[in-house]
Amino acid sequence: MDTARTDEFEKRKQTQHYEVLRELGDCYTSVGNYVQAQRCYEKAASIGPDEPGPYIGLGAAALQTGRCEDAEIAFRVACRLDPNCAKAYAGLAMVAQQRKEYPSSFDLYMKSLELDTDNITALLGLFQVSCEMGSFAKVIHYLQVYLDMHPGDTSVMFALAALYLKDNRPEEARRMLLDLLILEPMNNDAKNLLEEVEHCLVPTG
Amino acid sequence: MSILLPTYNRRRYLPYALASAVGQTYRNVEVFVVNDGGQDVSDVVRAFGDPRVHFIDRRENRGKPYSLNEALARAQGKYVAYLDDDDVYYPNHVQVLVDALEGSTDCCVAYSDLYKTYCHVLSDGDREIRSKYVEVSRDFDRFLMLYFNHVLHVSLMHRRDLLDRTGPYNEDLNILIDWDMTRRLAFFSDFLHLHVITGEFYSPIGDSDRISIQRRKDPREYLRNVLAIRTTHPPKPWDKLDELSIIVLADRLDQDLAETCKRLWRHTFYPYRLYLPLVPEAIARLDNQMPNVVLVPVDPLSSPAERLDVALQRAEGRYVAILPGALPVEEMWVENPLYALIHDPSNRDGFLLAGAGGERWGGVVRRVDLERARNAYPHLSVEASLTACGIRVRAPRAEELPFQFDELLRQAWQADSDGDWSVAARLCEHLADRHCNELWMRSMAADAHFRAGNDGQAARLCRQVNQVRPTVETLLLEAKVHRRKHEFQTAIRLLQQAEWGLQDRLPAPARTPMACSQD
Repeated sequence: MDTARTDEFEKRKQTQHYEVLRELGDCYTSVGNYVQAQRCYEKAASIGPDEPGPYIGLGAAALQTGRCEDAEIAFRVACRLDPNCAKAYAGLAMVAQQRKEYPSSFDLYMKSLELDTDNITALLGLFQVSCEMGSFAKVIHYLQVYLDMHPGDTSVMFALAALYLKDNRPEEARRMLLDLLILEPMNNDAKNLLEEVEHCLVPTG
Repeated sequence: MSILLPTYNRRRYLPYALASAVGQTYRNVEVFVVNDGGQDVSDVVRAFGDPRVHFIDRRENRGKPYSLNEALARAQGKYVAYLDDDDVYYPNHVQVLVDALEGSTDCCVAYSDLYKTYCHVLSDGDREIRSKYVEVSRDFDRFLMLYFNHVLHVSLMHRRDLLDRTGPYNEDLNILIDWDMTRRLAFFSDFLHLHVITGEFYSPIGDSDRISIQRRKDPREYLRNVLAIRTTHPPKPWDKLDELSIIVLADRLDQDLAETCKRLWRHTFYPYRLYLPLVPEAIARLDNQMPNVVLVPVDPLSSPAERLDVALQRAEGRYVAILPGALPVEEMWVENPLYALIHDPSNRDGFLLAGAGGERWGGVVRRVDLERARNAYPHLSVEASLTACGIRVRAPRAEELPFQFDELLRQAWQADSDGDWSVAARLCEHLADRHCNELWMRSMAADAHFRAGNDGQAARLCRQVNQVRPTVETLLLEAKVHRRKHEFQTAIRLLQQAEWGLQDRLPAPARTPMACSQD
């Protein structure tokens, strides 16, 4: 066995139990069983005290059950363990968003996206906060970057089209929606938005 | 059956090991705990209050082989199994192995799979489990066993009466003690490999201070033990192996011959006896300290072929290697052509030694063929007499060489390290299909497929493995695939099983475990 493989295995042999618990926590979160998710994340955190992953999970579970303060503590621990953890910043942004602290939330989403432009949670969060704040330029840029990397992501295409419209760029919104409808012809939200866009494009007077 | 449990300064873990031995579902066991001059453990043993436990309490430290022999001298069971003082059996261990041996007509040795359990040792000595892997699940391969141990002693069970033929544990060894015994057992029996996980052996993370590890790092000591093991043969007759007679045809006793013999001693792992046809004067001068050497006096005026004929009359092996003194002797020098000869379906061919040809002819042939050729054509050279008898001596083809599995496995590991996961996966699948070791290779292939992003293939292979012998590793992998596909309930079920396995042990396999023995 060569060194690279040995190193890889060396790491894996220390993290298997941690990984099982974290995966289990993620799955329980996905099915809405936050009590079990919390149990798994807490156990994972005790096995891997230096890993931010379980604290992200704990934060997400707390957020889903309306415990904003617990969520904030968990995300802050994750940030301390890994100052470059995009998910931790996105979590803190979501906490701020729930508290309607939009400027702070906006900054935290931006920080998260600087660390990981691929973070869809942060991207969609930024979109929502931007809509609340009426500030679209930055979020449009990030959505465009994301779409370059994930060209078929229809949820982002829809968000971007909506932002174009809000930013008074109906032509671009129309093109985006037509592309989206090629991928998902039965998407009613897109059809409705397209109708609205085309209404805007009709010359008046 | 008898369980031998030698212990030395592991008071803390001995109760777990002993509890696992007396807690077997198969009740008809006797357990020998041998304290090899370590800390007092009499209270630990007494606390069990089990009449099946026999305690040998020795003050003097004499080593593991001595302890095993001491226990064997008192053992009465039909079968013998081994347990180290920091390892544990699962409750089914003895039952699984006894059932297999009782049901087998030709195997007197069986072994199962074990988890290698990585743990952190806490300050109070407790072990916190981090992971469990079946790192090796290698089907029995006699040729490999002669070269390297691939059977964990804690997973082994054999008939006790086999030791009458192998002899006791070698008390002169201080490392590779287990391999010495499994190697000798392989002279007399096939090994039945049961793909059932029946116990765990612990590996503390970052612990490189173990005595056995330290001793292995001393190359001289390592080589001394390896050579002692390779050159010590159990008494004949051997039921499963045929000896190789190596006849060295040297012109004279000189430094070159001495060097050839030394290299041969160092590089030959197949059991052999070396025949040196030499003039009486040279024999008188020779101070031979090599084991397994037969000095054959020959006429000073005799030709090489005549010297061979004289040595051949003394040779006992089924196979004969004819080595001109000048040929280079490297690793696998004789095992490559010998393996091809043993597995030659035509039964008509002989095989050339590497580097042999022309003036320096050398090869490996069956003794009966060589005798027939020499009797029929004594006036011809060795090579010509074989040809005249219809024995074709040729170079072995690549596919006829030993350790094909190991070479492909090495390539798979290399591909894996290089990030060529699809290639690694294909190689492992090929190995699973063509070279036994099915579950082990399918697990590796699944892992490589997963990392290559071939989720479908990874899921298929994991499912196949988990239906027969679920492990923490393969359950976790299958769960990850399902999670990627948003099949969360299935993922949760698999992860729960994995978590259970990490805490205690895995549920029984859904199907009857596979067994594989290979000659």
